[in-house]
Amino acid sequence: MSKTKIDRRNFLKVLGLGGAGAALAGCDMPSYVTSEEGVEKVYSYLAPEEYVIPGIGVWYASTCTQCPAACGVHGRVREGRVLKLEGNPDTAANAGKLCQMGQAAIQTHFHPERITQPTIGGKPATWDEALALINKKAGNASWVTGTVSGHQRVLMDAHLGTGTGRHYAIEVVNSRPWEDASAATLGDARPNLHIDKARAVLTIGADVLGTWGNPVKSMRDYGNFRDAPRGVLMAVEAAMSLTGANADHWIAARPGSEAAVTLGLGHVLMTKHGISPAGMPSAALAFKNMTPARVHELSGVSEAQLDKIADTLMANSPSLIIANASHAAAKTAQVLNLMLGNVGQTLTPGAALAAGGLAPVTGSSKDLVEFAMNAKAGKVSAAFITGTNPAFLAPASLDMARALDKVGFKVAIASFVDETTQSCDVVLPLSSALEDWGTHVPAFGGNPGDVHVQQPLMERVHADTRGLGDIVLGLAKEAGVDGLGDFEDYYGYLRTAVSAMIDSDLEGDWNRVLQAGQATSKSAPTAFTTGGDVALGYSEAVKSGGLSLITAARQGIYDGRHANLPWMQEAPDQISKAVWDSWAEINPKTAAGLGVKDGDYVTLSTAGGTVTTRVFTYKGVHPDAVCVPMGRGHTNYGQYADNGVNPLSILNAPSGDMTASEIIGSATPVTLSATGDNRHLIRLMDIDSQHGRKLVATIPATQFDRNQGGA
Amino acid sequence: MPSLLGNIFDIWSDYLKGNEQGGHHKYEHMYSMVIDLDKCTGCNACSTACYAENNLAWVGEEKFGARQAMNWLRIERYFDEPDMDAAGDGHGMEQAAATQSDTQDRGASFLPMMCQQCNAAPCEPVCPVAATYHTVDGLNAQVYNRCIGSRYCANNCPFRVRNFNFYDNAPTAWPAPMDQGLNPDISVRSKGVMEKCTFCIQRTRAARDTAKREGREIRDGEIQTACQQTCPTSAILFGDLLDETSKIAQVWKRQQMKLGVYKQDKANPELRGYRIFEELNVDPKVLYLERVREV
Repeated sequence: MSKTKIDRRNFLKVLGLGGAGAALAGCDMPSYVTSEEGVEKVYSYLAPEEYVIPGIGVWYASTCTQCPAACGVHGRVREGRVLKLEGNPDTAANAGKLCQMGQAAIQTHFHPERITQPTIGGKPATWDEALALINKKAGNASWVTGTVSGHQRVLMDAHLGTGTGRHYAIEVVNSRPWEDASAATLGDARPNLHIDKARAVLTIGADVLGTWGNPVKSMRDYGNFRDAPRGVLMAVEAAMSLTGANADHWIAARPGSEAAVTLGLGHVLMTKHGISPAGMPSAALAFKNMTPARVHELSGVSEAQLDKIADTLMANSPSLIIANASHAAAKTAQVLNLMLGNVGQTLTPGAALAAGGLAPVTGSSKDLVEFAMNAKAGKVSAAFITGTNPAFLAPASLDMARALDKVGFKVAIASFVDETTQSCDVVLPLSSALEDWGTHVPAFGGNPGDVHVQQPLMERVHADTRGLGDIVLGLAKEAGVDGLGDFEDYYGYLRTAVSAMIDSDLEGDWNRVLQAGQATSKSAPTAFTTGGDVALGYSEAVKSGGLSLITAARQGIYDGRHANLPWMQEAPDQISKAVWDSWAEINPKTAAGLGVKDGDYVTLSTAGGTVTTRVFTYKGVHPDAVCVPMGRGHTNYGQYADNGVNPLSILNAPSGDMTASEIIGSATPVTLSATGDNRHLIRLMDIDSQHGRKLVATIPATQFDRNQGGA
Repeated sequence: MPSLLGNIFDIWSDYLKGNEQGGHHKYEHMYSMVIDLDKCTGCNACSTACYAENNLAWVGEEKFGARQAMNWLRIERYFDEPDMDAAGDGHGMEQAAATQSDTQDRGASFLPMMCQQCNAAPCEPVCPVAATYHTVDGLNAQVYNRCIGSRYCANNCPFRVRNFNFYDNAPTAWPAPMDQGLNPDISVRSKGVMEKCTFCIQRTRAARDTAKREGREIRDGEIQTACQQTCPTSAILFGDLLDETSKIAQVWKRQQMKLGVYKQDKANPELRGYRIFEELNVDPKVLYLERVREV
């Protein structure tokens, strides 16, 4: 029997069913049955486990955790080892597809540098010793994580409920400006996007195909979007993203001026196309004031370019504008979506899970800043850190080292040693995602109520690692959370919780959930609430003349979490085609002005510090911008990540309230000086021109239309 | 009696036939690929899937810079658009540099490039040991055990899609326990051996065996290459050209594309299908569909 008193209300709460009103049919706890049973006996391989057929690969469903998108996967298991991941065709969020980061999950799983045993103060320890210390010192702990959802989140919440700590969800690559703007204008933070139904898509500082939202879902929709009748893709950004690299019209805007361009677009739509934001006098006023001349002054975007965008949007309805450059730009973009009649067509209401406790807590850089501030103020007595690396992600001005120092007791739950774990008092070795149980609710792209189930695809590679759910469950039980006492492990908890969620505790139904890799929770469609007036703004700070440093996340290395994967290091960057190092993207005109050329080392100096890296010139970056993609420049992330520079460290100090822009959207004044050294940047190919050969042939869209798209 | 010389003569005569009469005549299947460049986003999902599926070794910065990477499938990226060049004289870049604005007007052009499985493969007749030949599946195969590393084949490949093992890459590429993730269906190649895209031959073989066991033909769409399977925009199509009902055969037909010619004679020249370096008369079996952009 449980040692704590359970009442039904608390029991439902810890299962993530708070408010669901789900009837629990039977409360017997299933025991944990795994292939580890009988492990003390050695069997001849002549009598293999019944599910192992030598030479035959079997596919099992699970969930990818390489980025916050939480795509469903099928893993190929042969002779007890997982060998290859493919997208799960049944999960709407990715429909059978996977990006390169998902493909590389195998490398994360079998990585030679995984942490294999607990350490206390850097010295090997046993789990019992580590947990005893934690139980003694980690009272009122906060959770510092990336984006989390599902039952891991429920347990973290339950654990937090026993103390005074709070949850910091940190992702510097995020969709926060869009989510906040959508909540403010539509009353729904994450409306469904229908790129495939749009005839024209305009992205403003949102790398929809690369790193924003669920890029796999976006790319899938993009594939359909390009079928006849072919959609037109436009991108406004300071440096070319993967989305921009696929755009029909690419418009370079000065860093930080994206909101002004968006307002200017509203001006053109009002004055030249006669549509206005109904019932939004302050928005209309903001549009009116942002004349094309003013847009040009602030951003360098010409009136002709604004006209072209406006004409294209008007001629191809419904359209869709996705902005993530800044909070102001995102808000303005949503007002434009309302004006253009896109809301209800390419933007539809999302759904709210009945079990609200499972919903994703999407990360932001706001939480990074708040964590640093609170820690420095001595308000974080203890912290569990997992799935994020604040010491690497924080700009130097946040002084994260001092912040972490001020946290009384820090526990890292991690698979790899990194800049953050090295400062933690206790490090608990985490199972890989392919060895662990869990549930994940995709923040973008799933069907209403989709809950993706993560199940182990093989035995643990390192026996002394533990799953995240098991660790959190143990902590929550120790902290005295009601209703968890009977669960021996996370599997037992998860099975009960999921069974309750789907209103069935039948063995067959549970097996079907595992087979499908997903379960459906009850959900209710949300409704848009529009019509209120919205105040729109932009940044006055941007001016011509000086150079601004910006950074960009690229699918692959991402925010730096995949820099330790050789496959990702060696996958050429989509834009520069460089491998195994950082580079600074500079416009050829700017480079000529500075007297630097490809391969020259330059030192970038900002108020936050300096980094030195090589120049890569191309025309996909605004002449006033210098773009250094993020993710490299680790100081303690293993042998494979030991290259490049970290531009995040020298970015501007973020403003306190973080309502202006995310860290990576902030343009930081920078000066460049050549060091005099030059070394060839290693790239997949050293030419950017086809030299007149028919390698990638391009035809005008009119020809495509004449032939109804052909194939 | 099969002999080395016999193998070489076979390859030569196949090559000649392919060159003069268009295609081989011994094929049971003719696997082909169609890549829609208007859908390709250049995201790298396919090339990474290829690393995972085919036991491709990563080599590190230095060897990558020495063009010793083992990427069977690479995404080339170009910034000029020679075809969109107003003058139409094929000098898009030079013109663009003179007339364009300071920044790009459009995005980049991406090109997934892998072995084109040429019917008249120029790599084959130059191999001194007949290590590369055509299979009955219509694929250009590499016999690792025969290969002596002369590298003539790579020299003769106009697409530069053959990768030579200059080093024994395995110990660095798969330090324990990474070796546990190797695909047991295919080998790990050692030093001195040439390797290349096989159109995921292990998947083809598996499907063939399954079909045989079940006493039926291989179904269209039953075989998916790793790159095709993962491509988020479904830009890649794979199938058997000899099966006239297959999706891929229909695309070739709709695009009015013919095998065995070095210049297409289309009734509608505006259709998007084309083959790269077709004029070299190597008869590639990868059909690309032109990229489309608004002007």
